Amino acid sequence: MEKRTVDMQIIGDWVEPGTRVLDLGCGPGDLLAYLMQTKGVAAVGVDLEFSRIAACVRRGVSAYQGDMTTLMRAFPERHFDRVICSRTVQELAEPKTVILEALRVGRALTVGFVNHGFWKNRVAMLLGGRKVRNQVYTTAWFESRPANPVTIADFEDFCAAHGIRVAHRVHLAGNWRDPCPLLPNLLAGYALYDLTRA
Amino acid sequence: MTDDVEAAPSAPTAARHLAPGDVGLVAPRDFVHAAPFTFRGGQVLPGVSLRYETYGELNAARDNAIVICHALSGDHHCAGWHSPSDRKAGWWNNLIGPGKAVDTRRFFVVCANVLGGCQGSTGPSSPSPASGQPYGAAFPPVTIPDMVRAQRLLLDHLGVAAVHAVIGGSMGGMLALQFAIEYPRLVRRVLAMATTGRESAQAIAFNEVGRQAIMQDPAWNRGDYALGEGPRVGLAIARMMAHITYLSDASMDRKFGRRKRRAAETEASAFDLQFEVEGYLRHQGQSFINRFDANSYLYITRALDQFDLEEASGSLEAAFAPVEAETLVVGFTSDWLFPPEQNRALALALLRAGKRASYAELATDLGHDSFLLESEELYALVRGFLDRAALPAP
Repeated sequence: MEKRTVDMQIIGDWVEPGTRVLDLGCGPGDLLAYLMQTKGVAAVGVDLEFSRIAACVRRGVSAYQGDMTTLMRAFPERHFDRVICSRTVQELAEPKTVILEALRVGRALTVGFVNHGFWKNRVAMLLGGRKVRNQVYTTAWFESRPANPVTIADFEDFCAAHGIRVAHRVHLAGNWRDPCPLLPNLLAGYALYDLTRA
Repeated sequence: MTDDVEAAPSAPTAARHLAPGDVGLVAPRDFVHAAPFTFRGGQVLPGVSLRYETYGELNAARDNAIVICHALSGDHHCAGWHSPSDRKAGWWNNLIGPGKAVDTRRFFVVCANVLGGCQGSTGPSSPSPASGQPYGAAFPPVTIPDMVRAQRLLLDHLGVAAVHAVIGGSMGGMLALQFAIEYPRLVRRVLAMATTGRESAQAIAFNEVGRQAIMQDPAWNRGDYALGEGPRVGLAIARMMAHITYLSDASMDRKFGRRKRRAAETEASAFDLQFEVEGYLRHQGQSFINRFDANSYLYITRALDQFDLEEASGSLEAAFAPVEAETLVVGFTSDWLFPPEQNRALALALLRAGKRASYAELATDLGHDSFLLESEELYALVRGFLDRAALPAP
């Protein structure tokens, strides 16, 4: 829960007050409720599960139950000031489609993800020879949702190849609190990107 | 909506109306608007009246009203019991009552029979002041906005200053949306379920078959028939057909399958009643003709077909531009009459228009009538939507 809070603060720093924000994979609306309280944003979330939409509705967060790409395709260019994709990108069936679509409907896109290149993950894989399980990814392979173990290097390559401009990047150490400026792909546990179209 | 598919199983005791969580015994009232009422089409009636029920109390601020809007064949009796010997409670009794999702300890619930209806509100079966005979086909074409404007008069009469929420399924959802469009300052929340901003060709087609069944019945007589008479065969067939569209393949299969009536072997003709589903539909048709007016059926189905938010304003977003309410749209996966796609389109258009709107979808196999479902998930959603204090507008 503490890790979640750090995450929310940085994401919040990139959100302009009173703007229109879309959260992809909004869950029960924790982040959007926080942004509504702290930044007075007009928030919209999208998630697949009824129970999460119901949780959003209960706390006054607008939320749409359904596929995020379908939702985004229903909006004109730059309808949102910012789209947020926090800890969702690794579970997407078509991450590229989602990211490019998010950069169409949003003036800016925040992407936050757990760095699978973090040294502990590498060591665990190297020595254990089994699917990495840690504080964030606690489940065994047979009870986990399908996930792309994306790394910071992977993500940087992707942005460069698709002409996506990185306005800000924040790499956090394994404790998800301290900055990690050095060798982030090896030493950072968590990465946050503030992206725009080039 | 159907009569009994989602109705609670009957309790064995004769004191069901005293059950905790029930509003208990209720009585309808009539609101008479003695001034001229002008319909969208320009026609004027010298006065209209609406039959309605209320549950709970209007608070001092007069802002705790919840308006319930019924579907095509529904009425104002949405909760409680008219007498201890009633076979069934009001049609949304599972949702409305003290401590229920629509909590009558907190809210002042109002439900009126629609203008053009036949359960006590002014409609084609009402006597025309000129002749004393039923209006019949001389009744003005009624629209969803007309129904909403008439209900607004009732709310004014009751002293309602702000509507906490308008709730409706199917046609009731259309009314709820229209309420928010027409009276943005009045309506704070809209909960629209299993509905649409415009019927598809298929939905219009089903309504047309129903209307043809009525109008091809010689007893219809161009809408001119005495009370209690009229196109009973045509109306029953219209109801049987429409009833199928409220269910689903899966729910009908579960309820009836291919089970046959025991008497089937002894029937004289190959086309007499054989399957249970046939008996069920015939019963639905027969019970409908005893409580519904064929002309009302024509008028209201026409109002449904004519309802088109897109056409009225150029686009759904433009239609929703005046809305100030927070909206929750609920679709049901097995609803093939007003399918999830059409419900989603409403929420998306509201969001495109910059409004606060949510879309939730329940996986059910009960078809269009799923909105009447006894579902803790649905109750929790409704309760959560209604209970939260209103947020400041963005």
